[in-house]
Amino acid sequence: MMKKVVKPVIRHLVLALLAVIWLIPIVWLLATSFSSYQGINISHFFPEKFTFNNYLMLFGAADTVAQFPRWFMNTFLIAIFTCIISTCFVLMVAYATSCMRFKARKPLMNVGIILGMFPGVLSMIAVYFVLKSIGLTNSHFGMVLVYSAGSGLGYLIAKGFFDTIPVSLREAAKLEGASEATIFTKIVIPLSGPIIVYTVISSFLSPWMDFVYAKLILNSGISTDWTVAIGLYNMLDRSLINTYFSRFCAGGVLVSIPISALFVIMQKFYVEGVTGGSVKG
Amino acid sequence: MKSVVKKIGNIFRNFGESVAKGNLWVKLSLIIMGAGYLGVGQVAKAVLMTVVEAVFVLYMLLVGVPYLSKFGTLGTVQYESIFNFQTMKNEVNNYDHSFMILLFGVITIILIVAFLCIYIANMIYVYTLQKRKEQGIAINSFKKDLRSLFNERFHITILALPVLGVVIFTIVPLIIMIAVAFTNYDQNHMPPASLFTWTGVDNFKDLITTSTTITFGYSFGKVIVWTFVWAFFATFTTYFGGILMAKFINNPKTKVQKLWRTLFVVTIAVPQFVSLLLVRYFFANTGIVNTICSQIGVTDFLTKIGLVREGLGYIPFLSSPGWAHFMIIMINIWVGVPYQMLIATGVLMNIPNDLMESAKIDGASSFQIFKSITMPYMLFVTGPSLITQFIGNINNFNVIYLLTQDVYKTTDQLLANSSAKEVDLLVTWLFRLTSEQYNYKMASVIGCVVFVICAIFTLIAFRRMTAGDKEESFQ
Repeated sequence: MMKKVVKPVIRHLVLALLAVIWLIPIVWLLATSFSSYQGINISHFFPEKFTFNNYLMLFGAADTVAQFPRWFMNTFLIAIFTCIISTCFVLMVAYATSCMRFKARKPLMNVGIILGMFPGVLSMIAVYFVLKSIGLTNSHFGMVLVYSAGSGLGYLIAKGFFDTIPVSLREAAKLEGASEATIFTKIVIPLSGPIIVYTVISSFLSPWMDFVYAKLILNSGISTDWTVAIGLYNMLDRSLINTYFSRFCAGGVLVSIPISALFVIMQKFYVEGVTGGSVKG
Repeated sequence: MKSVVKKIGNIFRNFGESVAKGNLWVKLSLIIMGAGYLGVGQVAKAVLMTVVEAVFVLYMLLVGVPYLSKFGTLGTVQYESIFNFQTMKNEVNNYDHSFMILLFGVITIILIVAFLCIYIANMIYVYTLQKRKEQGIAINSFKKDLRSLFNERFHITILALPVLGVVIFTIVPLIIMIAVAFTNYDQNHMPPASLFTWTGVDNFKDLITTSTTITFGYSFGKVIVWTFVWAFFATFTTYFGGILMAKFINNPKTKVQKLWRTLFVVTIAVPQFVSLLLVRYFFANTGIVNTICSQIGVTDFLTKIGLVREGLGYIPFLSSPGWAHFMIIMINIWVGVPYQMLIATGVLMNIPNDLMESAKIDGASSFQIFKSITMPYMLFVTGPSLITQFIGNINNFNVIYLLTQDVYKTTDQLLANSSAKEVDLLVTWLFRLTSEQYNYKMASVIGCVVFVICAIFTLIAFRRMTAGDKEESFQ
């Protein structure tokens, strides 16, 4: 009888302990964002005095270092355009490879898999060169291009979804005289709501999460050009950290809220994506 | 492989046949690409093809040939700026820009190859049109051809832009990067002020030499060893950690599973540049963790048993070699396990229940079930993604850069001379060589090395992914 009570308690205690370990930094982020002390508080975990000031300053008192509303806007615009282009690319490639049959299909898909496995970080200096030579460094248009140009390679998940749409539907439409373009826009797209949501969210999130390319391309040092990631990173510069650390935390919290919300929606598709692709090949 | 050679052979045979057997119009297409279409009365297409040809020739004359002719030397005319007293302005000579020559050289070569393909395909197509006309088969009008782009040839329409994007932003950069590795493009050879040129395999030799002036060999050895150690530990700790956590949470004995899962997922929903930067200050030399550790006596204890150097007074979590390596892997567990937990949860739910049931009836213990059913199944489903993750970790820029940049200072002079650190991966080293040292040539060489490593692992993963119908093998 004792054993029956103790075992589940231990099980849940272990889980609680793990959860605490995982949440400590997040709690620290939240707590510091409300701290009245502007630097890093190294003697206490929780601040002595709580205040909303950091949030107010982020929006009210923009200076040459902290331009949070501006960064938010920049990132938002980049994300919107990236999202539109990427989603179109992904859906188009997925339709071509899933619903159409042409000679170059298999070779194209193989090349796609191989290229898709090379991480983007690898070609970043060369991408930087290319952008520089056409004068697109320090431009948001350049950022959109970098984020969305290669997005067609991420078509596998959408393709897996299109594969599950019954062929008979498309064939029926063909008999009625519909062209491929009509089938794509009038039949397949309306049926693929979930996968569109997934693609839209994941491509919308990438500019918010990205740090490397933004740092490399937006290197002019003009703070109004930056994205949120670069701006917040810059607040931690050795000479700035003692006055901006709590504001960095406030900014971090503000960015994290919308991202977490989107992430939770996307999460269930994410699992399907990773495991689904591996079986189909 | 053989079939590819055969196919290419076939294409050239068809091309030859078209030239030999084609009528005057077809033969004229060798010079004016649109001519063959005129022969069968397709004026619109004739104009279109001729325009394509004209644009290409124009491009070659104005841009292609001038750049390509300097491609062998990457330019010879040095940038010079002379002050003109009459106009009171600086006048710049007509200098060569080495990088532009390299870039446009590569682009021109790609365009030439593409044009040749179109040219040959055009000849073959024109000849088939002629044959069709002779046999009296109807030839598509231009309008019909256009319409087919939205029907049976719709794939061309929808693939054009995505493929173009990949070519410009993935393939061209890769070629450029490989090319730069064979030049002396660095801080002392920065266009437009000065020229750079081809230097053969000198940079690759530098990468493996260690001498009084060059320490790349020494650094390269250290960095690549750590890259692999890191990739191995980062992949496997998070993989098994994630599976264990998923098993633990999904166990029917666990209450409110959804709550637990959400708690862990919250940590990955925060963008890495926020969470990792935060953790970096959390574990700083004068950070909050160190304060607490010294208050409760952990620092003294660690000093006593020799893990912390005498007289340091703090635990160098992210600032001394051994500690930083250990902490980076630990923090990566914190970042990576929830991801794996999500994936593993999805996979575990799909394990056929009858397998488990029958094993239980046969008297298998839960450990035996885990070892003989759960793990093989997990490995089968997530095996290929394990290799992808390994590659991803070799290139895991974020974790290393965000945790150690500005914080970790190397004391090893040999490493510092080639601007590497003990905790650098190949990619972070490459990044800092580029953005801080402007040493593009060595960065490109390292890029090539990473490229080769990735290629090897990619091919392994690729062969597994396309190995055919292995779906049955587990059942």
